[in-house]
Amino acid sequence: MTVPGVVDGLFRRSAGRLVAVLAARLGPARLDLAEEAVQDALLRALETWPHAGVPENPEAWLFRVARNRAMDRLRRSARHDRALEVMATAPEADDGAGGGGAADELRLLLLCCHPALSPRARVALALKTVGGFGVGEIARAYLSRPEAVAQLLVRAKRTVREEGLALDLPDGDALLGRLESALETLYLVFNEGYSATEGDRAVREDLCVAAIRLAELFLTDPLTERPELHALLALMLLQASRLRARIGPDGALRLLDDQPREEWDREMIAAGLRHFERASTGPRLTVWHVEAAIASVHAVAARAQDTDWERVLSLYDDLLQLKPSPVVRMNRAVALGRVRGPAAALAELDAAARHPAMKRYYLLQAARADCLLSLDDPAGAGEALSRALEHAGTEPERRLLRMRLARLVQSDGVLSPGPTSPNEGDA
Amino acid sequence: MPRFLILARDASDDVAAFRRLSPAEMEAAIQKYIVWSRGLRGKVGSDKLTDGGGRVMAKRNGRLAVTDGPFSEVKEIVGGYWIVEAASYDAVQKLCETSPHLDHGTLEIRQIEQT
Repeated sequence: MTVPGVVDGLFRRSAGRLVAVLAARLGPARLDLAEEAVQDALLRALETWPHAGVPENPEAWLFRVARNRAMDRLRRSARHDRALEVMATAPEADDGAGGGGAADELRLLLLCCHPALSPRARVALALKTVGGFGVGEIARAYLSRPEAVAQLLVRAKRTVREEGLALDLPDGDALLGRLESALETLYLVFNEGYSATEGDRAVREDLCVAAIRLAELFLTDPLTERPELHALLALMLLQASRLRARIGPDGALRLLDDQPREEWDREMIAAGLRHFERASTGPRLTVWHVEAAIASVHAVAARAQDTDWERVLSLYDDLLQLKPSPVVRMNRAVALGRVRGPAAALAELDAAARHPAMKRYYLLQAARADCLLSLDDPAGAGEALSRALEHAGTEPERRLLRMRLARLVQSDGVLSPGPTSPNEGDA
Repeated sequence: MPRFLILARDASDDVAAFRRLSPAEMEAAIQKYIVWSRGLRGKVGSDKLTDGGGRVMAKRNGRLAVTDGPFSEVKEIVGGYWIVEAASYDAVQKLCETSPHLDHGTLEIRQIEQT
């Protein structure tokens, strides 16, 4: 049950914003201090709100307490130079919850994506500071250990201090480069949340929500509100619209065709399509543009059979030019199958399968199984599904494959049984 | 209706444990607390006591001795209290069974003498 006043996700969002606002005043070398002051404020809320009630403006309350705690901590530390004055003279009315907060968050996010930091460090630092996630949550999301994440953060913050990384917006090309890095980082986070099918489900969904919220920060500044940002937002929103439909009630993964479309989030689709329109105003076609276009073709099809597969195929041709990876090739093959039939798709899939990265990629074998079944080769399909089952990493994936195998066995009496099905030959 | 005092005691390491929670986990905890506190039927009052501080006064050999409390040897500190009007200890116990405080601390119930 949630409490009116403590809107779901308030603490995480406030934590992110408040760390950004404090860091803007304390300087990025004092990120630790900013985080601790915010943690102090949240703890204070936990201790007092149950007795005193939720304040009328919870964010403003948190900001005041965090600010005071930051000043306390500054005074107690040996070297507080000018920061104390900056903190003390900041306007009392500024509760950090207004528009100024977004600008600070944007800058902190860009700082986290500085090229001096490793890609892994960027993700961890962004999620921990402006994302408002805890170390344990980040570790659970990435199936890592909290100590490893903590270490990564310590090193990242040390780099920020030692390299003197700043919170100001870089100029011109440097800004574009940094924005690119930030968008890539956010997409990494989103993808982690979206495509993982094991681990803490709640946290994974939170990753998608966070990636979208953080990307939306860039909408608030004309310098960063660029077509590629809209393309990424379109892609994330269109994919996220399908999140709830991806795992069935039986715990099995559901691929696109099998998802009941009434479970897709219509509002997200609408928002995604609006961003997609804004994305097409730019001169550059990015990978996100094409992937968002593909997602939009699926999103607007009322039923799976209404999908404009010719368009999808044509888009995959474009995508293959920009991103010639075996996974893209595989996905294109699936689209090819819808347009030119299973034999053509199978040939492409077999070609893609030769790439070493595809040896353990269960989806490819599952796709081959579909083609073989359409080509009246249930034995071949069964063999492909069995191979897929060997490589499927998570329980939802395995359930999907077992279901398909079971269906295969039911519909064909002479098929030799897979690992989980009974021997049809028995009476 | 009789009145009861509900004392919440915390082990001193609880604060450290709470600090390690993520913002989202703190929010979940606070929602539980607020829901419970709001739902406390017959609540007459409640306060959180300040952390740290406290005095203990006693006369030893006829002389007043005042020390800082809570005692350092005592692992548990009273963190806060509620006063409720209820029919019986059983009734109060029932109210307290759902308290999130029990996840990490203790609740002590004492009836207030009616004079």
